[in-house]
This record gives sequence, C-alpha cells and structure tokens, in this order.
Amino acid sequence: MLFNSLTFVVFFAVVVSVYWSMRSWNARKYFLVVASYVFYGAWNPPFAALLFSTTAMDFWLGRRIATAKGRRSRRVWLVGSVCMNLSMLGFFKYGNFLLQNFQWLLSRIGIIYQPPHLDILLPVGISFYTFHSLSYTLDIYRGVLQPTKSLRDFVLAVSFFPQLVAGPIVRAGDFLPQLVTPPGLRAGQFLWGLLLMTLGLFEKIVLADTMLSGSADRIFGYAGPLVALDSWLGVMAFAGQIFFDFAGYSTCAIGAALCLGFHLKDNFRFPYAAIGFSDFWRRWHISLSTFLRDYLYIPLGGNQVRPVRAGTNLVIVMFLGGLWHGAAWTFVVWGLLHGSYLVIERVIRGLFENKEWANNLATRLLGGFATYIAVCVAWVFFRASDFTIAARMLDGMFGGHAHGDAILTTREMLQIALVTAGMILVHWSLRDSNIETAVTRLPRWVVTAAWALMACAIILTQGNSNAFIYFQF
Amino acid sequence: MPSSTSNFKRKLRLPRLFFAKPSEIIPRDYERPIPPLPWRGLTVVVALIVIAAASAWEFYCRSIGYRPTLNDNEDLWTMTRRSVKPESIVIIGDSRAWFDLDLDELQKGLGKRPVQLAMGGSCAYPVLADLANDESFHGTIICSVVPRMFVAPPGTPPMERGEKAVRRSHTQTLAQRASQYLAMPLEEHVAFLKQEDLTLDDLLKRLPISNRPYAQVSPRLPPYFGTLDRERRARMIEECAWPGSELQKRIQQIWLPLFTPPPPPTYIPKEEFGKKIGAAIEARFHDVATAVEKLRARGGKIVFVRFPESGELKKLEDRETPRAGIWDQVIKKTGAPGIYYEDYPELSGFNCPEWSHLSAGDSVEFSKRLIPHLRKALQL
Repeated sequence: MLFNSLTFVVFFAVVVSVYWSMRSWNARKYFLVVASYVFYGAWNPPFAALLFSTTAMDFWLGRRIATAKGRRSRRVWLVGSVCMNLSMLGFFKYGNFLLQNFQWLLSRIGIIYQPPHLDILLPVGISFYTFHSLSYTLDIYRGVLQPTKSLRDFVLAVSFFPQLVAGPIVRAGDFLPQLVTPPGLRAGQFLWGLLLMTLGLFEKIVLADTMLSGSADRIFGYAGPLVALDSWLGVMAFAGQIFFDFAGYSTCAIGAALCLGFHLKDNFRFPYAAIGFSDFWRRWHISLSTFLRDYLYIPLGGNQVRPVRAGTNLVIVMFLGGLWHGAAWTFVVWGLLHGSYLVIERVIRGLFENKEWANNLATRLLGGFATYIAVCVAWVFFRASDFTIAARMLDGMFGGHAHGDAILTTREMLQIALVTAGMILVHWSLRDSNIETAVTRLPRWVVTAAWALMACAIILTQGNSNAFIYFQF
Repeated sequence: MPSSTSNFKRKLRLPRLFFAKPSEIIPRDYERPIPPLPWRGLTVVVALIVIAAASAWEFYCRSIGYRPTLNDNEDLWTMTRRSVKPESIVIIGDSRAWFDLDLDELQKGLGKRPVQLAMGGSCAYPVLADLANDESFHGTIICSVVPRMFVAPPGTPPMERGEKAVRRSHTQTLAQRASQYLAMPLEEHVAFLKQEDLTLDDLLKRLPISNRPYAQVSPRLPPYFGTLDRERRARMIEECAWPGSELQKRIQQIWLPLFTPPPPPTYIPKEEFGKKIGAAIEARFHDVATAVEKLRARGGKIVFVRFPESGELKKLEDRETPRAGIWDQVIKKTGAPGIYYEDYPELSGFNCPEWSHLSAGDSVEFSKRLIPHLRKALQL
C-alpha cells in the first residue's frame, strides 16, 4: 500500500479511528499488528508469512543469545541470526546477481555455464525489515538491549506499518520501549503528525514526481550525447528527486507514527547543506548510516585503528552500503565513490583542519558546494541502469559533448533550477536547526498558508500513485 | 535429559509468547518535539481553505466545460481485462475503436457484449500478444489499426501505454485494485479529476514559455473531449461534436503534430535510422502474425478494422502511412480478414468532428452498419 494512494487514505483513517477508540493498550497493539500485516499483505499476501517467519526466528534467537552462558555460544546464536537474515536477503535480492557474476567469472576461465534465470519476486521492503529485525539480535548481543518477552511487541516493532517498507530503519531498541506504556491522544501531536504527512506527500508527489522526475528520466533515458548544461540539470533533477522521494517517505512515516502516538527519529537532516562527506552521511539516510556505523564500522575497528585500516574500513562499509541499495555494480561503484570521498576528506581534514582559513565562511560555502557537486557525480552511478549510460552522462557533464543535443525545455530547466535552488536554500538556512524549531519560529499565518498550499498542490496533482524509489531496495 | 512432558510444556509456551504481558523494558524518554501552536484552530482554518480552494477549482473547471468522468488508467483497464471470458469478443487497439464502437449495438448484432480493451494513444500489439498468450482465451478480437500506432516501435509512448496496462493486469496488487474502486465514485462526481488534462504537471506544461531551438518538446495531447464509463466505453462530448466549435478546432490542430513523424534523432545517421525503423516494422508484422497464428490455433478469431477519419488528418495519414504500406501488409501477413471503412459506402460517409473520432451519435450508427461486415468477416 503506497502512502500516496486512496487505499492508504482510507486505511489510515480507519486504523487511526479504531486505534484511538480502543481502551486496552494490549488490544491496540494487537490491532496495530493486524493493520501492519494488512498494509504489507496488500502488496503480496504470501510475503507477509515470510515477514512473520523472519521476525519469529529473530525473536527466538534473541532469547537464545540473552540466555546463552558463554560468549562463544552467544556468538553462535548471533551468527545464526545474521546468517538467517542475510541469506534471506541474499536469496531474494542478490540471487540472480550472484549467478550472473558467477557465470561471468567461469567464462573468464573458459568454462561455459548457463545458469537458470531464477524467477524471484523481491519482497517489498525486505532490505528494511531485515535490518529492523537484525538490529534486535545485534543489540542483545552487544548488551544494550534486553530481549522482550512478548512476541507480539517484537512483531509490532518490526512490522509497524509507517516504517515497514521504506524506513527509516527503526531499531528494536528505539521502538520496543515505546510499547511499554500506552501513549495518550494529544491533539497537538496528532495534528503535527498530519502536517508532517502532508509535507511528506508534497515532497513526493509535487516536488519529486511532478517537478523533477520527468526531466531526470528524459536525460538518463536519452540515447544520444547531451551538452553539459542538460547533463548537469538532469543529474541535479535526480539529486532533488531522490531526496524528496525518500525524505518524503520518511517524513510521512514519522507523521503517521506520531498520529498513532509513536516517535520515530529523523532520517534526513538537510543533507544538501553538508560540508564534507562525513557530514553528508550524518544527514542522509541517517538510520542506515548509523546502522552501518554501529554494527559494521565500529566492530571493524572504526577510527581507533591505524589510518590506512580506518580508511579501508570506510571503503568496506560504503561498498556494502552501496550493495544494500541494489544488486548491481553501479550501486557498488556509487558506494565505493562515497567510500573514497570519505577517505579523501579524512586526509584533507588531517592536513588542514587546524588552519584558520579552513573554518571561515568562504571555505565552508566552497566545501558545501564541492560536497554537493561530488554527491551529484556519485548519483550518476546510482541512477544509471548501466555503465554505458553512466559514462555518457559523465562525459556530457564534463564537456565531452560540446556539440551534443540540448533537449530540455525551458520550463523543465526552470523547474529544476527553482526547486534545486529552493531546496538548497532551505537546507542551508536550517542546517543547524530542525523543522520543529523552524515551524515554531514562523508566523502562524505562514504555517497555515503553507499547509493549505501543500494540501491544495497534492489535490491538484491528483496523484498517479507512483511507487517510491526506495521501495525497490 | 528433558522428558517428553517438559518438551510438551515448552511447545505449549510458544503460542503464549504472543499473548505475554508487556515486557520489562524501561521506557525511553525519546520524544519528538511538537511545535507549540494552536493546532486545532490552525487545522480548521487549513481545512476550510482547502475545501474552498477545491470547490472553486471544481466550479471553474465545470464553467469551462469539464464534466465528471472516469480516467482511463492501467487499473481501470485491468478491471476490464479481468472480465474477459474464454469466448469473449474483445475490442483492442487505439482510441478510434474506443470512441467509434457502441457496445449496446455490438451486443445486439453479435449476440455477446464485447469487452472494451482499446486504449487512447496506444499500440494494439501488447494487448494482442497478451490475449494470444492467454491459453484460456479462444474468443474473438476486433482490432483497430491506426498505422502509426500499430507499428510504433518498442520504447515509444504508444507501445509503453499498452505494455504498462498489460503488465499491471499481471501484477496488480490488492491495494491498487482497492484504490481503483475508491477512485471511481470520486471521478464520477468531481470534474477536475482529469489525470491527463488538469493535473499540476499538465497546467505547468501549458505555460507560454519559449524554448531553445532544439529542445525536444513532446507534442501536446488533446484536452478533455470524451467521457468514459465503467465498461470503458468512450463517448465524444457534445461541445466537441458541434460544427465549428472552439474545442473541435483546438483538437484538430493538436492531431496534426501528433500524427506527423518526428525528425530522426541527431545521433543516428538518417539512413541507419530509416533501416532501424524498417526493421522494427518488419518485426512488428512478424510478431503480429505469430500472435494471430497462436490465437487461431486455439480456435480464436480476429478481424482488423480501419475506422473513419476526416479532414487534414486523413490527408496526413494517407500521405504518411498509405494503405499499401501498413494496412495491406498486416492483412497479407496475418491472413486475417480486414474491414477498411473506405471500401464500403455505408461506412465511409461519416464525418469525424475533430478529424479522428466519431461523435457519440454517429458511433451508434456506425456500429450498426459495421455489424454485417463483422459477422461476414468472422463467419458468425
């Protein structure tokens, strides 16, 4: 069920009404479990069984880890949980990719092998819920979380519908405590949740789908050479589209959770105002970057090891982060590029961090600009479906097609320019703040007008129920 | 060693886990801040503004001629596709089959109510292939041929439209199905819900902004000029059928660029492009013939129909896609019967008000006159 669909509007209205009219907290939680499975099952009912079995296994393994006597047996149970989750992910998401690469490797040594194409349907949101579930056993192993006694609570923590299919990746440790005491219905919280849902839908339907996606699709789908201006505009359109698409989903999820009395953490914090790549990853898909930091980067040694090893760790983490996004080498290159950016940044910081000029306004602005440009270059690999397209795009961006085609219309160019400029302006003006503070500071009539305008624009776009980009991951 | 009784107890405990008391986890104090605003009053004002703005927009749209009608999308198409029975009569192809055929008349004349699967601006092939691959289907297909649409190569909008609909019919989720059922009553009562005419995107496209010389501007699609019911029967609105109406003239001028072949892309030599297009057309003939063969092998039937057209559009189509070029080839290579409206005086006397489709009234008469030809071609 998509947030931007009529079915969800009706579903959410029914869920909210029934949920708040129930007196028993236990009954409410059961109801949310059922609602979440209906939400998920509306895509493909059999996959709800897969979701439940993964969850139940992790629940059981979590208890095993907690009650195991020695460190070794704790580790064995943890490895069981990691293997179970990753093999599930591997089979559904990377099955064909692995087979194709295996075939290619064999062909390099002269062995002709034609693997059967596995007709695997990717369960929607598997990358997200696998991580939701995995965080539970990992946190129990790390000793930062006690296992819950209630399977129902854990099932709800993993399947809670606002964050189930496209994040944020809510850790069980952040969600389970909220299931202890029932939240009260507070008008301010509920209505703020509705405003956030409106903002999220506005970002997705109006800004991502209407203003930017058409131009990005046209540029990346064009088979000929493009001039630099069109190439850059196409990439900037995608940079904006993916932000509004994904941040829009996260904002909707946060808003929907608030309407039900739950608090999810921010997943984005004005990322296009980042100065440097470590700053970017503290602002972009925060729930994934912190997941990778806590469960992968730090166990690998983090930055408490020699610089070369720390740099290698960064590249490994970003390589896996890239692969998490999709079973294609283009995603791997995207991840590796970000890994390299982080390593280069670390070297530059080491050399110049203490210089006085390194922290003045001009340097910061230049750093922000350079970060945005480098992030855009990396997006080429994220968006392009193969390396031929990526190479053509990069060639165009860096002046390789001086006599290429200029295909964008003036309207499209204006849309990209205006939305991108507006987005960057908002990100820079709020980079050290948050949306709640900004809304508190705004005059009430501005909040009212903005909310009404966003709602009207959503109605005017009539929503074609385009899927969110991150659903495919 | 645990006894069988303790094992049994452990098994019994499993379902109870689901109903256990709340865990002993200490509540965390993480709470999102809520901006301290007078939320109730603010929400009421927002709701009033949105209702007022939507009502004003609805009133304005009605005042300029829009009326509530269903949007044709993949979900509505899928809904109709689902109603195809093994022996159904199915109409496929482009908007001419959509506007020009009256289901009531066809039901009277052919003995069965046809299922309308034609789509505006689409190529018939994806739907033909889907029906040919549907092992349970051995009914009858009435296929409209507008040459440019019929041979549209893969990756072009007419092909994508058909492919998208077919794909949706195979992958539609319960949620998408429910959304369509919820959308229909809304679309039947709200005039501004026009997904191909009155969306924000369409309104932005209408802004009078001049372009760079080589910018690729996609040709405009015609505005609202027909209604659609739940059976996907399209009818031209009266305003479009009025002789010399403003809407009619606007649409006529939209068809011409839409039916004019676009210039070849700059990055492929002209000759090479011509060869590619030629090969794509040949491939389409082959694919269509294969699909027809498959259908016939199961006892199915197909008839190709060329529907009326008028004015400058007819001249343009006759010039760019002459009968001998595509129509004759389709009939020859498939060996299927064809009905070309110009071959029969009773079918050729119709005037298409906006040059491409018949008015709602004429579509009824045309369908009546077409029935004997269909019966003969299909040996009914």
